This record gives sequence, C-alpha cells and structure tokens, in this order.
Amino acid sequence: MIEITGLTKGYGATVAVDDVGFTVRPGRVTGFLGPNGAGKSTTLRMLLGLDHPTSGTALIHGRRYRDLRFPLRTVGALLDGAGAVPERRAIDHLTWIAQSNRIPRGRVREVLDRVGLADAATQRAGRYSLGMTQRLGIAAALLGDPEILVLDEPVNGLDPQGIRWVRSLVREYADDGRTVLLSSHLMSETADIADDVVVIARGRIVADGTLEQVTAGHDSLESAFFELIA
Amino acid sequence: MGALAAVRASVRAEFTKIITMRSVWIATAVILALHLLIQRANLGSNTAAVTAITPQGTIEIFTGDPEPARGALLDLMVAGSFQMVLFLPVLAALIAGQEFRSRQLDRTLLAVPHRGRLVIAKTIAAAGFLTVVAVLIAMISIFFLYAATRAWDPGLATSADALCGQAGFLALAVLTGLVGLAFTMLGRGTLAGIGATVVLTVLTMTRLLARLSPALDAMLPLSAGRNLLLNPAQNTLSSGPAPALIVLLLWPLVTLTATGIVLYRQDAR
Repeated sequence: MIEITGLTKGYGATVAVDDVGFTVRPGRVTGFLGPNGAGKSTTLRMLLGLDHPTSGTALIHGRRYRDLRFPLRTVGALLDGAGAVPERRAIDHLTWIAQSNRIPRGRVREVLDRVGLADAATQRAGRYSLGMTQRLGIAAALLGDPEILVLDEPVNGLDPQGIRWVRSLVREYADDGRTVLLSSHLMSETADIADDVVVIARGRIVADGTLEQVTAGHDSLESAFFELIA
Repeated sequence: MGALAAVRASVRAEFTKIITMRSVWIATAVILALHLLIQRANLGSNTAAVTAITPQGTIEIFTGDPEPARGALLDLMVAGSFQMVLFLPVLAALIAGQEFRSRQLDRTLLAVPHRGRLVIAKTIAAAGFLTVVAVLIAMISIFFLYAATRAWDPGLATSADALCGQAGFLALAVLTGLVGLAFTMLGRGTLAGIGATVVLTVLTMTRLLARLSPALDAMLPLSAGRNLLLNPAQNTLSSGPAPALIVLLLWPLVTLTATGIVLYRQDAR
C-alpha cells in the first residue's frame, strides 16, 4: 500500500505540489492523471525518495522509500526520461541494477524475455528505439518481482502492440493482489486500465475515487478530466 | 540481511557499472599506451646513461649533472609513474560522470536510496579500479627500469626502495583519483571533474602558488604528491612527506564527505 499525506514541494516562492494526499491500494490499478506540469512527476519523485518534500509524508508499507534496504524487491519504478547510459549494453544495465539489490542474475534474462528484448540483450542502449528503451525501463522495474509498481507514462513510445502488452501486464499485476500506480496524461488508456483515479491540477488533488465515482455524470474520463482541471 | 551485505551489493553494482563502460576502457588503454610510449622513448638514453656510470657510482641522466646512480635511477622511475597521476582523476571523472548521462542518477538512487551507502560503494569500487590501473602503470615503470639497469644492477627495479617508491605512487594515484570522482559528483558532470582536476594541476605545475606561498601550495593534492614522492635534493618541495600524506588523505575525505552531504540534501535532478 502507498499512503501519501499532506505532501508539499516548493521551489522558492513556487509551490509545485500543494498538500497532496491519497492512498493506493493493493489489488487495484490507480491512475494518476494530470496535465503537463501539474505535479505528477514531482509527487512520484518524492514518493521514490529522489526529491525532498517540503512537508508531508509518502510511505510504502508504512516506511519511507529511502529507508528500504533493497527497495527494488518491494517497489519497481519506471520514471519518464531516466534510462540506461547509451554506451552500455542492455544486459549490463540490468545486471548492475540486479546486483545492487541482490537479485539473482537469472532474473535479468527472465525480465528481458518478458519485455520482448531477449534477442536485443547485448545491444547497446543507445541503439534502442524509443519503444525498446521504454521496454528496458519496464524490465528494470520488474527485476525485483516487486509488490508495488510505479509507472510514469509507461506507454510513451510504444506501438499499439506494446500498449496492449503494458495494459495486460498491469492488469495481471493488480489481479495478483499487487499495487499499481500509473501516471499518465492519456485518458483513454487510463480509462481502460484503472480501477481508481487520482487527478492532480496545479499541484493540488482535484479528484480521488473509483473510476465510476470520478466519471459519474460525464460521458467519459476525458470529459470529467477537462471539467476537473478547468 | 545486514547493512554490510547491502554495502557489498552496492559495491558490486558500482564495479559492474565501471567495467561495462566502453569509454572507461578506452581511457584506460590510452593512459597505459601513453605511459608505455614515454617509457619506451626514454629507454635508449637511460640505458646509455647506465652504461656510462662511473666507478664512483655516479650517473649523468641529465648531461653535466652527475649524481649517485642508485638514487637517481629510483627517482627517475617514481617520477615516470608520477607524471601519469595527472590522468587518473580524468579516468575517475569518466567513471563518476556516467551518473549524469541519460539521468542514470535517478536509476541509481532508486536502487540504492541510502546516499551514504552509495558514496561509500562508489568510493570503494572506483578505488579498486584505479588501483588496478595504477598497479599496471607501476609495473610498466618497473619493467623499463629493469630493462635499463639489468646489466648494472638487475635487482634495482624490484628492490625495497623501488617498491616503496611505487607504493607511494599507488597511494597518490588512488587518492587524487578519488578527488576527481568527488568533484565530478559535486559538479554533476564529467567536465566539472576534469575542469577541477585541470585547475589543481595547473596550480601545482606552474609553481605559481609555490612561489607566492609555499604553505598554501603544500595544501594542493598534486603538490602534496610531489612532496611525498620526489627527492628534496633534486626538487624544490613545499613540505615534508608526513604533512604531505595528511594533506593527501584529507582531500578525498573532505570532498567525498561533501559529496555525501550534497547528495543527501539536494534533490536528484
């Protein structure tokens, strides 16, 4: 379970995230929606211990991410833009990540198979297409077979087949009783995958509930979204 | 599972990061090849100087400057290794600089969110790799000293004095390399690390600071290296070997501690 309470992040006079709070429950896919610059990535970065909150807490099973000794065994994360060094082979990229959390080496091959990169494992990351880079990021998130997945824009750069694959992956994960937090700006994708929806705009949470609750009285998630952020 | 196991896992991961970077291997090969070339180029003149050692045991490595052969040849070997020390912080900057390419630092901190453990792991892994490179440099120096002196004293290159000189070089190489690593992390990029290294090198090599204030010059890492390794009878030094060793130990200690504090306090952007 992920519990975010009163999370605030300021840069000088600018408040990027303002008193954000929501809960992500196991067995459900939670869509985290918001326009560009709304504070989605900043919230996720604070949850994952990359950025310091000005105030508030973001807890994973009651603990801060920074306090987890081998975090990748609990949380798998894909962050928009954080990739492998171009000159390093994909298999080496995953190997160092696995070693850092004492994940067996055999798991590297397993996740490469799972994301469809087994044949390109020894290619350098710089030669990967955008879609392959995204798959490599997802492979890194899956390495520790974590109970919680945090995915920031996971379908960016993927072809329709890849998008379908991500959809089934997160569904399987949630159906297995695990926790999935999925940040996106794609309404139709989120509507197809999410059980719960959290909408953030200008750094504040403007809606938080089940997909049905958030879209009640609207034709679609998209129309609900635009009304909420207006 | 203990904290020690976590540190060991982090060190292993950091070492894998180093040895899977093509640019690190290319830079290592260039440094070793350069040292080989310089040593090879000097072999003829050094062998000729050894052949001309007088019955009194003096040698003229530099024409018109006779000096005791044994000490002069050992100084020559240590000085040969010492000049390669300039390149090791650049290698360390390449090693640390990878964190700031493709936002790898995000991925690193997701894997090892404990900043203190990360800095310790980076330090140990980089020190290990730099030690291997420094040992290879020392071996090349020893080989060429042996090649030049084998007809006169075949045991000189592997004597206790020679190995002691190379041990000092190893310490200097690793410690200054770690300073380059710390500056790269503090400056958040390979160029910052290389830039800081160049500034420190220029301050020492131009002897500008040494002329203005020897005490201040003695505080520079490369000056401390000179003070530790070079013969005061042959070189103008700004302090003795004991203060030099303290200065050399303090530089990586202070800069790496600062790196840990900055990583802890700042956002990973």
